[in-house]
Amino acid sequence: MYKETNIRELLHRYMEGESTQAEMKQLKEYFDGEQDLPVDLIPYAQMFAIIEEETPTPSTEALDKFSEEQVQETQRRLPLWPFIAAACIAAFAVILLAPPQQEEENMTIAYVEGKMLNDKQVAMQMGENALQEIFSNGNQEEQLSELFNEQ
Amino acid sequence: MKHLIITLALITATLPLSAQKGLRINEVFEGNIINEMAMHESLVKGESLEPFKLKVLHTVKFTTGNSARDKVEALFKEDMQGRLSDENDNLELEYRDGHLYYAIVQIADTKKGLHRYICYQCRQETGGNSITLVYMEGKASLADLRKTFKKK
Repeated sequence: MYKETNIRELLHRYMEGESTQAEMKQLKEYFDGEQDLPVDLIPYAQMFAIIEEETPTPSTEALDKFSEEQVQETQRRLPLWPFIAAACIAAFAVILLAPPQQEEENMTIAYVEGKMLNDKQVAMQMGENALQEIFSNGNQEEQLSELFNEQ
Repeated sequence: MKHLIITLALITATLPLSAQKGLRINEVFEGNIINEMAMHESLVKGESLEPFKLKVLHTVKFTTGNSARDKVEALFKEDMQGRLSDENDNLELEYRDGHLYYAIVQIADTKKGLHRYICYQCRQETGGNSITLVYMEGKASLADLRKTFKKK
């Protein structure tokens, strides 16, 4: 038989998380066997009724197997660093290869018979001459028309 | 990775002329109809064109026979289908001897709202047909361009 004061002391240790396995066993036995419990201890009896007598402890073999599985799982995982490296290289490539907006917007190139001329003025002049030729077409007719009208 | 870098570089290089892409006359600008060695080409973009209210001016000029002339004319006429209207504000053209002599055509604006024009001229000269082809885009209206480039 367990003394009530001793049980209360064990309960206090249990609630504080200081109980040993043996003390927990004592409490379990007490609450399982005692029929005439003080009212304030009845909730504890209900609690110990659903607590298993002993927390199952994994065997050494089971622990070894678990460790092996963890190691294999880690080895199976693909390393992340190649993907991170590839993403960084791609980002740098985009930044370095894309010319600045200002440079992209300004361009003056001339090709004469397949040869590129590094002369902005020539390129500009070629463009302007082409437009002047085309836009002056109607003008020639108007001039002729005006000439005939005058006559 | 190498393929990715090359692809990115190509995309970047072709961006400036993306608005011109899709036009049939691009075949001519790219040298697919007339050998590039026989062409005079100029491409101007950006600040230099600000006085003309333009952003892009691309011209090619060459002399060729009737067969190539017909091809270029046909391509230009296909692009003319996309003209804004037949109104004088958007179109100016003249035929001589059954062929297009010159044309200035405003086509649909770019996505950024810039006006786009294609121009064609074919003059008969002793060596063949002297053809000038122009693509341009910018804020300039056809009236602005006439005012700027028409010789007085």
